[in-house]
Amino acid sequence: MAGSSMKAIKLRIKSVESTMQITKAMQLVATSKLRRAKERMENSKPYAAISREALQEAVMQCDEKSTPFLELREEKNRCYVVIAGERGLAGGYNANVFKALAAHAEDRPFSVLPLGKKAIDKFQHMHVPLLDDSLSHVEGLSVGSCFQLANRLIEGYQHGDFDALFLVYTSFRSMMAQEVQLEQLLPIERAEESGENARAVATIYEPSPAEMLEAVVPDYLAGRLYSAACDSFASEVSARRNAMDSATKNAGEMISDLRLKYNRARQGAITQEITEIVAGAEN
Amino acid sequence: MATFHLQIVTPDRMVYDGESPKIIVRTVNGDVCILPRHIDYAVPLAIGEARITDEKGETRVAACNSGMLSVHGNEVRLVAVTFEWADDIDLERAKRAETTAQQALEQLQREDRDFTLAEAKLKRALNRIHVKG
Repeated sequence: MAGSSMKAIKLRIKSVESTMQITKAMQLVATSKLRRAKERMENSKPYAAISREALQEAVMQCDEKSTPFLELREEKNRCYVVIAGERGLAGGYNANVFKALAAHAEDRPFSVLPLGKKAIDKFQHMHVPLLDDSLSHVEGLSVGSCFQLANRLIEGYQHGDFDALFLVYTSFRSMMAQEVQLEQLLPIERAEESGENARAVATIYEPSPAEMLEAVVPDYLAGRLYSAACDSFASEVSARRNAMDSATKNAGEMISDLRLKYNRARQGAITQEITEIVAGAEN
Repeated sequence: MATFHLQIVTPDRMVYDGESPKIIVRTVNGDVCILPRHIDYAVPLAIGEARITDEKGETRVAACNSGMLSVHGNEVRLVAVTFEWADDIDLERAKRAETTAQQALEQLQREDRDFTLAEAKLKRALNRIHVKG
């Protein structure tokens, strides 16, 4: 009896140990990818921030009629750009993105442009119309493909395939905290009126604010997509690192727990054997 | 020498962040030169050559592709889709791009959707070759 439970515990320890090896390896891979991912994210930020600022200044000079990018249409169809991961085992990373989307979309119909294999699988499964199902790789997403995406999205918007465009991604706050963000890309929202307004009034726009806006919107969108993709990937990697870190810790705890049980069983077996020998000698 | 603060950014990095006394860029309306104390100004960029003078007075040439230029007081921002210094341009690659774009153009009609794309590709390739040469 004691022997078989000892064997079972030993096997258990072995299997937990090999799981721990895997989680440990994944953690190391995530840690090494994290540095590059963070660097890429930092590099992508200035463009997104500066082009956004320039865009907002031009927006203040335009009225709703002058360009379709500002016009508020009735929101019949929405489109979401959803950036999720390529793989799981990253804690709540993928689930949080989908949860935020579901909460925002409620019961309205929507179409999706998914980035990342997990997002593609999820929406295919839900039978949501997809604009594209070929972008499974967020890690190596190039600036060029972001421009292609932006152009397609703008074409779809101008064509009336959807009336509002949203972006759902995960923003990297710190190693420990990643936050899902949902923002409206089209039509462009007006920033709060402020002192900035006066500055924009004095600016000369060539050829005109509206034309300037039309020229800059595709670039802005592409930059925004690229920076969100970099941000999301850094979040994914650090979420995975954290998840694997705690998995490794848990496995370690489990192993020491099992060792204790194993030693107890071994001691029990020895005690029993001695008792048996002593009892035999007394007879 | 009077200077202004110049930032040049592309989607994947900040190319230049420092003082500059003078830049020349190609906008949709033609070449424009920005000097210190320019009026607040914003304009979309075209595909063309950019000449950037740094604080030491040295002028560097670059191939600049689309985007926008904005001037706000002493802050000048060049937000480009691509921006490559002449030294960084891969001439072989640009020449290859030129031939493929030209071949594509021969197959296409002016009304085709891809015609404009191929044309833009050709322009970018020619601009790179011109800047490098």
